[in-house]
Amino acid sequence: METTSTLEKTLRLIALTLVVVFFMFPIFWIFLMSFQTNETILAIPPSVIFTPTLSNYAALITGKLTTAAGTLDIAFMRNLMNSIFLSVTSVAIALVLGVPAAYAFARHKFKGSEDIAFTLLSFRFAPPLLVLLPLTQYFQWLGLSDTYFGLIWVYQLICLPLILWIVRGYFEDISADVEYAYRIAGHSWFATFRKIALPLAGPGIAAAGLLAFIFAWNNFVFALVLASADKQPVTVGALAFVTSSGIQYGQIASAIVLSVTPTLALALYAQRYLVEGLSLGAVKG
Amino acid sequence: MHEKEKDLISAFLRGEVDRRGMLKGLGAMGVTAGSAGTLLNMMSTRALAADFDWKKHSGKSLKLLLNKHPYADAMIANLQSFKDLTGIEVTYDVFPEDVYFDKVTAALSSGSTEYDAFMTGAYMTWTYGPAGWITDLKEWINDPEKTNPNYAWDDFLPGVKNSCAWNGQPGGALGSDDAKQWCIPWAFEQNNITYNKAMFDKAGVSVPKNLDDMISVAAKLQKDVGGIYGIGVRGSRSWATIHPGFLSAYSNFNEKDLNVTDGKLSAAMGTAGSKAFHAKWVQMIQESGPKDWSTYTWYQVGTDLGAGASAMIFDADCLGYFMNGGDNKMAGQLSYAAFTANPDATASTPNIWIWSLAMSNFSKDKDATWYFLQWATGPEHAIFGATKMDFVDPVRQSVWKDEAFRTKLDKYPGYVDMFDASAAGASIKFTPQPLFFDVTTEWAATLQKMVAKEVPVDEGLDQLVESIDRQLKEAGLG
Amino acid sequence: MASTATLRKPVSGFRISRKMLPYVLSLPALLVCIGILIPFITAVIYSFQRYRLSQPWARQFNWGENYLNFFTDPAFWNTLKVSLLYAGITVTLELLLGLGIALLLQRRSTVNNFISIMLLLPLMIAPALAALMWKLMTNPSFGILSYLASLIGLHDFRWASSPSTALLTVVLVDIWVYTPFIMILLLAGLRSLPTQPFEAAALDGVPRTFVFFRITLPMLTPYILTATLFRLLDSIQQFDIIYAMTQGGPGNTLTVFQVEAYLNFFQSTNVGRSAALMVILWAITYFLSNIFIKNWLRLRERARGEA
Repeated sequence: METTSTLEKTLRLIALTLVVVFFMFPIFWIFLMSFQTNETILAIPPSVIFTPTLSNYAALITGKLTTAAGTLDIAFMRNLMNSIFLSVTSVAIALVLGVPAAYAFARHKFKGSEDIAFTLLSFRFAPPLLVLLPLTQYFQWLGLSDTYFGLIWVYQLICLPLILWIVRGYFEDISADVEYAYRIAGHSWFATFRKIALPLAGPGIAAAGLLAFIFAWNNFVFALVLASADKQPVTVGALAFVTSSGIQYGQIASAIVLSVTPTLALALYAQRYLVEGLSLGAVKG
Repeated sequence: MHEKEKDLISAFLRGEVDRRGMLKGLGAMGVTAGSAGTLLNMMSTRALAADFDWKKHSGKSLKLLLNKHPYADAMIANLQSFKDLTGIEVTYDVFPEDVYFDKVTAALSSGSTEYDAFMTGAYMTWTYGPAGWITDLKEWINDPEKTNPNYAWDDFLPGVKNSCAWNGQPGGALGSDDAKQWCIPWAFEQNNITYNKAMFDKAGVSVPKNLDDMISVAAKLQKDVGGIYGIGVRGSRSWATIHPGFLSAYSNFNEKDLNVTDGKLSAAMGTAGSKAFHAKWVQMIQESGPKDWSTYTWYQVGTDLGAGASAMIFDADCLGYFMNGGDNKMAGQLSYAAFTANPDATASTPNIWIWSLAMSNFSKDKDATWYFLQWATGPEHAIFGATKMDFVDPVRQSVWKDEAFRTKLDKYPGYVDMFDASAAGASIKFTPQPLFFDVTTEWAATLQKMVAKEVPVDEGLDQLVESIDRQLKEAGLG
Repeated sequence: MASTATLRKPVSGFRISRKMLPYVLSLPALLVCIGILIPFITAVIYSFQRYRLSQPWARQFNWGENYLNFFTDPAFWNTLKVSLLYAGITVTLELLLGLGIALLLQRRSTVNNFISIMLLLPLMIAPALAALMWKLMTNPSFGILSYLASLIGLHDFRWASSPSTALLTVVLVDIWVYTPFIMILLLAGLRSLPTQPFEAAALDGVPRTFVFFRITLPMLTPYILTATLFRLLDSIQQFDIIYAMTQGGPGNTLTVFQVEAYLNFFQSTNVGRSAALMVILWAITYFLSNIFIKNWLRLRERARGEA
């Protein structure tokens, strides 16, 4: 691909610019809104000229929101902490459970392996609405409702199948010969898994982990139905700015900015694993 | 404290002297307004405590499920005085309005014992009541052992409190003798006109007198003011589109949603009168409604009025009230008027939304819960909410007589007149029945099709009637 | 299969029996998830009942009546049509767009890596909030997109509020939110392809289109299938974006499965009908994913056979 012409370079640049504009413009607009009050956000026609204010962020962080109908208490920071706790814990558990299972399915054809793998996937496509009512009732009986434990268990249904099936593909792409050579040298199965298979499938695990994190982060129906107000994630918390005395667009925008930050930081940190791919083309089968 | 001052405050609490008179009197005695407030609270607590054992449930604790709403905020701001009065500990969960009723349904349908009382709308009790999730409150209200002597159940506006009472029979009249009191009204909303005075002056129009007038006034406003649209009404595919202005005007023409004959229900939107009304309503939206009407909910209707994108709304009076404050561009520039859609009608008959409090049937201590309910819907909190917070429209007649409250409403031109003109005719105009949400959602979808010219009005209504009759039969109601 | 054959050889220091190992590795995951079958089966039982929360006394088994009613209900067929149409359009467009962007960003460079991470941003915003923002941006009075549209002469474009453009608008938001999902999976896949076939093709002067269709695409197919499968499962169950933008309207333009089931459950509290709708949706996803997995496994087998 070194023989690209100037024309092609230009076309690629135009295409990439269009892509960036389409996906980034709304983000940029939300970012601008987060520094405005409703008064300038709701200007006719819309305008980019405004005096920036930090009042939205201040309201979120201090937990005091002033509206047409007095000062309200908001629990946004608590929601943010809940989101971080729920997502991190759920993904960590899903990785611990899902990656070895993915390895098993990739490396071993055992009796019923495809059935088990498919069953695990099928948990992903039971629509949440279908199980919601029975789930709340069983949670009630088991004493699981309004516990982080119960929520994290339910979140496994979002995270585990995703991690399992994405990581499985990556394991299957790694040549078994490398592992075999290592095993012949006298290393245990576990050492092989840890020293060879895991690092090689690293990008896949990072991508799957990040995507599972995002899906866990964005979920809200489970927490809404199964837990009380002090355990709600940001997705529910941010809706508190849709108040009967008006939608507080500025605060929603800054809530979005704040809620995106941890995920973005995680993605930038894991960037190397995410987009580098397997740079070990030679060892692939 | 001197006896004279005590007497004056007691007179006020008995309703013999109004608030302004009392404060004036106290001022003459050398008591400042601030300390008068403290005195009043002290005396209120004492008055509440008289002849009634408020401490009976001391040490117990209750949990509430609340919607993120100014009324809930007003209650929370005053909650300490309930705790002081009764010794009952109260905690609460507040959920955003967008998902609030989903949370209520989830909590109640699973039989959760977590919440003792919760906020609800009257329409929702048509599901919750028959489902066995909420308690008929009549036995508590009528029991002098359990209800304090100052509660004054008669003080509630009759149309409003009857709208919260239903015998559970599909189509049964609201407020009938055998009705169960499923919830206690807290504050309600009448659907009337809120308008932008400056725009009306610019276009040289006055407040519309009837539906035809409204259509032409809205069109003239849109043409003459420029850059705005004439009238804001809701249009999303939801029950919430039907219940505000639309049903208020519809029922002013004596049209109904459903017919009840021998306990059987059938759709009533197919009459000639209904078709004529729908045609006018659709025309009004097409000519002078918001461009993206079919996505319009409470929020968009209000936002546009507050930001000066619309000249008037035909929606909840308290929506107009909220838009007259805060950081809205049009804050302080809005006016209010009652609206009588039918030229032959003598008065406005708004359909109403009632934020109410209901008791969960799964509550572990209903007597203690009733203590909270009677305090939260009692006269003292009503005055506090109305004068100190944004409790509009109050459901107690005594609050509407309160001078301080009426003075506060001076900033909202026409509000008090609007209320006085339509309060007598204000009640729920729907037929109570378990398919309320099915009927209204489909009704809204049909309106959307008519406005988008996907179906002519007459044909659309015939289809609606047919479909609703089928669903009523399927549910064993038709 | 080389892998299983090699691993069957005994290795010293290994404590768990060879036969048991895969089960030991995979069963914990299964056990954690299996509990969901209980509420699932309960819900399937509900779908065979006449079960309205508001009429508890009338609750009884009506066997297939909830399902049979669908056959004569035009609203159901509309739901089926709209759901499949929505899923078909969004997944196809997102796949094409995601693949295109992944190809644009294929070359490893700091700029490309940074862009690819930033493009994930739409995915990180909860769809319900994203839809709220899009609704504001397409508002005819305050919306920047409506304003920009009016600058290029589209004065009367009604976005989500007109039956003729509602689907288009919601699809646009869906594309904005979920294309990055496909893009990142395909990018990781593209970059992990072996380099030899491409170098050989370049040396031989094989045309680029030929390389793309005969080498890149076949090698990428397993990744495409995985990404498409997960996207399809989510897309056919779309709720947040559609409900927040239009609530299923105007008219019945966008009453997809989840919107119908949500209204049936939370508003009408008709649990039986809601459950029956969801069971049908589940059956459709089961059927679709079965096809995908079969193809995926076949491709895998072939890839391994070639290696």
